[in-house]
Amino acid sequence: MARCQGTVESLCQGLLDLDDDKFSAMCSAFGYLQEWPDLSAMCGANLGVPAVAAAAPSAGDGNDSSSCSGSGGGGFRKRKPDEYLDAKGGASDMSKRPRGKQLSGLSEIAAPGKGKQERPKAGTKKKAEAASTAAAAAAAGQKTDYIHVRARRGQATDSHSLAERVRRERISERMRYLQELVPGCNKVTGKAGMLDEIINYVQSLQKQVEFLSMKIAASNPVVSFNIVEDLFGQQLKQACSPAAALPAMALPAGQLEPSCLQMSPMQQVHPSAAASSTGFGLDMVVNNLYAPAAASCPVSAAPSVSVAAGPSTIEPCLNVIGTAAWDIGAHNLFSGFDAQFQSVESDCLLDNHKMEM
Amino acid sequence: MSSGRSSSRGNISEDEINELISKLQALLPSSRRRGSGQASTTKLLKETCSYIKSLHREVDDLSDRLSDLMSTMDHNSPGAEIIRSILRS
Repeated sequence: MARCQGTVESLCQGLLDLDDDKFSAMCSAFGYLQEWPDLSAMCGANLGVPAVAAAAPSAGDGNDSSSCSGSGGGGFRKRKPDEYLDAKGGASDMSKRPRGKQLSGLSEIAAPGKGKQERPKAGTKKKAEAASTAAAAAAAGQKTDYIHVRARRGQATDSHSLAERVRRERISERMRYLQELVPGCNKVTGKAGMLDEIINYVQSLQKQVEFLSMKIAASNPVVSFNIVEDLFGQQLKQACSPAAALPAMALPAGQLEPSCLQMSPMQQVHPSAAASSTGFGLDMVVNNLYAPAAASCPVSAAPSVSVAAGPSTIEPCLNVIGTAAWDIGAHNLFSGFDAQFQSVESDCLLDNHKMEM
Repeated sequence: MSSGRSSSRGNISEDEINELISKLQALLPSSRRRGSGQASTTKLLKETCSYIKSLHREVDDLSDRLSDLMSTMDHNSPGAEIIRSILRS
């Protein structure tokens, strides 16, 4: 058959050059009179116009059986598999590409038909993948609602496991994205470790936001100042500036800072922490003065500030101040604060804090 | 890290992972509004991504507001003095 094909090939080549006389002579010589027209047509199509072959993949199938397949294949064999895959890809749902070689000839691709597509072949993966990528891209443009999955070597190919694999790939893609978002996640490997990191990070972010927003809400010291001034009027003006009261409150909150900084490496928290700590303190003052449950006020405020690692450091300071306000009474408030402030200062150990007393 | 999280063998059981996932779900705001019945992992991870991003934005926004507040405060006000002293410490 090969010999015959070779002869036919040469004859096909020759046919294009021959004129009618020689054509008829050759026909008679070989006795293929009936087949020549078909052969010429097919050969002409195969050699000249690949598009024709592409347009009719079924014709290409028919070509396989003919003797011209070997000859014509040399010309359009390279193009045909791509177009064949295109046509087939558009038709099928889960397009798993045949793993056979591209240049293996039509018979290999066409003969198994669709069965080939569903059977992943351990062949030249790279070439087939290159073809399948191109084909998949073309097919994806046509049908976007189908997911094109590549069946890898040695993996099961039934629809369930494929869907499972798609799901797993999506999850791992999201995990990778999360890994980029969460700092320090690169060192940890494994799902559980990463999840743990992510949980911690989300919690710390939440606390950060809560802390910042609370500070902003509390950091309108002007308002609080007015209230305190109105309440105590003369006494505040007599004694040291209200600033004196503030540090007393601010100190414990000031302690909040370093622990906050340890927790969150955000630098802009630092100056803002200072600003709002004053307001914070004043709120505490107001709360303590008004509410009968003075002891509970600082405690209730402290948990919300439990961002820091040491809420315990805050509470005793505030408690001291709160009780001082209560025990000493409003008229002695400021002097009471003085005393308490000194004790607070010693508690909080702020050496460089100079107060005009 | 508690010992229940990951065993030293390296094999992390399914239960631990599920526990972590449910914990994560509890953190997300979307699961608080409605009864958290389903925990589709993909959706969960996607929501975590968007939540983390929104938290980032919120923290940045709040920090900007605070720094603006700081800069607009009257320099000679007692509050500013306190802030400066605290900053120095």
